[in-house]
Amino acid sequence: MPKIDFNGISKTFGSNTVIRRFNASVEDGEFLVLLGPSGCGKSTLLRMIAGLADISGGDLLFDSQRANDWSPKERGVAFVFQSYALYPHMTVRSNIAFPLVMAAFRKWHHIPLVNMVQRWRVMQQPEVKAAVERIAEQLELTALLDRRPGSLSGGQRQRVALARSLVRDPSLYLLDEPLSNLDAKLRTQMRSEITTLHQKVKKTFVYVTHDQVEAMTMATRIVVMNSGIIQQIGTPDEIYDTPANTFVARFVGAPPMNLIPVQIVGDELSAEGIGWTHCGGTPERANSAIFGIRPEKMTISATGDGRMPGTVAVIERLGAETILGCRLGDGEYGGISTENLVFVRMPGHPPLGLGAACTLDYDDADAVWFDKPTGQRVTPLPATATPEAASAL
Amino acid sequence: MQTVQTTGLASTSRKNRTRSGRLAALVPYAFVAAPLAYLGVFMFWPLGRQIWMSLTDTRLMNPTHGDFVGLENYRDLLTDPQFYTSLNVTILYTLWTVVLGVGLGTVAALAMDRPFKGRTIIRAILLFGWAVPNVAATLVWLWIFNGPSGVANEITEWLGLGRIQWLTSIQWALPSILAVTVWQVAPFVMLVMLAALQSVPEEVREACRIDGADGLNVFRNVTLPYIMPTMQLVSLLVAVWSIRRFEIIYLLTGGGPIGSTSTLVVQIRLTAFEDYELGLASAYGAVGLLLALLVALINYLFERRRAKVMSK
Repeated sequence: MPKIDFNGISKTFGSNTVIRRFNASVEDGEFLVLLGPSGCGKSTLLRMIAGLADISGGDLLFDSQRANDWSPKERGVAFVFQSYALYPHMTVRSNIAFPLVMAAFRKWHHIPLVNMVQRWRVMQQPEVKAAVERIAEQLELTALLDRRPGSLSGGQRQRVALARSLVRDPSLYLLDEPLSNLDAKLRTQMRSEITTLHQKVKKTFVYVTHDQVEAMTMATRIVVMNSGIIQQIGTPDEIYDTPANTFVARFVGAPPMNLIPVQIVGDELSAEGIGWTHCGGTPERANSAIFGIRPEKMTISATGDGRMPGTVAVIERLGAETILGCRLGDGEYGGISTENLVFVRMPGHPPLGLGAACTLDYDDADAVWFDKPTGQRVTPLPATATPEAASAL
Repeated sequence: MQTVQTTGLASTSRKNRTRSGRLAALVPYAFVAAPLAYLGVFMFWPLGRQIWMSLTDTRLMNPTHGDFVGLENYRDLLTDPQFYTSLNVTILYTLWTVVLGVGLGTVAALAMDRPFKGRTIIRAILLFGWAVPNVAATLVWLWIFNGPSGVANEITEWLGLGRIQWLTSIQWALPSILAVTVWQVAPFVMLVMLAALQSVPEEVREACRIDGADGLNVFRNVTLPYIMPTMQLVSLLVAVWSIRRFEIIYLLTGGGPIGSTSTLVVQIRLTAFEDYELGLASAYGAVGLLLALLVALINYLFERRRAKVMSK
């Protein structure tokens, strides 16, 4: 299985640069997720790995060999597309067997009729039949083998696309937002199926998504991208717990990390017309910074015990937990904008209604500080952070 | 009392609903009425008249007073060697027009589907043949094929092939007509196929390449199946147009030499306006109609089979 290295990879379309000097590596057997908003260049990067898009600058190395000019076939990768990209006129069996048919193809098979006979012969080979049936069984497609993609559901089509990529036993799987066309329930199901598949086949997966839940639940490592630039590389826990900048802090987590621009005077913080004492230390050489804290690290009470007074403006009851959006200060809670809300994630059903006065609090050690002008993290990264993460900052 | 009133109101409201429902049901008929009337007056009525006329001995000198003669015209048709020549020429002309017109049009569309410098200009030039009116284009070709001074013979002489009687030899008349027809048909096919090609999902092509296919395999396994329904439809159109094409053939050869380019439609003209046999000409027309219906039926059967296979 190849180790993939990106050495200063760039991609430009005319004067528009979509990926700038991308440096990273993908280790053997890894489940790497490229996470970022639409248009950040993650799909382009995946297409460059597959050989479907030219590389404008830098080197792509497969096991230290420059692969920039290799054809998709030479790279030996499997690609699962967002739209599944199945062959609609072929049965599920033919779709799955297609890479094997192509592997047995020789130039002279292009002769009319020879082509048809040869394809039929390959399909009849016991090893091809066995491979197709084994994969179909693995993905619960046996009953659908003689149907065509048009008569399958989205989830079934997605499984056929996965089966087609699995049948060749490639060393690298590239998946481009494969779950985005599925409904929420099916997405959750397919998410765990892909994770199980990765654990079973023990191959390298590179997965593109803009859904941070997919990234957090499936990845062994995440690359967060924005505007073609790596924002952070790390394990899901590292990305969540120690975001490198305000972009990552906002992008990962639902609701996102609370980011409050504050004025600092000693241990005294002030924002939104309120002030409170923070004893966990504040950034050096700064009288203004961005104070960050995850919603689940905050507590809320109606008793007035907390340091930050506020008003409940949004309540989202999710069953096992409740998310409350509070406006700091004792002003009105009205308005539909969720801008400047401080979110709190609480287990169960807290006895607070809309407009109720409340106080928020947190453990000082859970606060994360970001530089206001650059948005970069100023709280030191823990020692567990990966070397790439450090170099990406 | 109140119950009675309520029932009365409900009944009135139901009546109103029924009336508005009936009116709503009539709306589609109102929309198709105009085209139906048009088709009725300008298509079905003449068609019916023609079929009726094919069963009479109507002559051009006396077009409104033909006597019913049953299938006599059809019997005459089947015993006339010229009918078989016309049928043969029509089938050959149609088949070659479909094969060459659709083939070349599709190849041109495939070439135009790729981005290259000057594509827009070349596409405009290629469309020229289709955009020029038939009669004007045919007159130009008549000059090109002219025996003593035509451009075609200039070229053949330059190539050392000597002068060819393009329109007056049995050997070359039909191929010459075919060349002009294909020159006119292929751009239209190109335009339609180009639209079909642009609807082929790029991701499926890419998936095919990832699966190890080369360019020809991508075409055979992805592009061709996607454009096949359009190709089938355009073939049907070209076939039907070829069966009923008149002006190109009539202007170039008039059906000659010795009836070697006389298709059923040209034969209708000759029978009706030179032999004055309107009844017999109508019988020729009915056979032409049958031929067109046969082509449409074949297309329908293919389409039905495709739909059946795809729905499995």
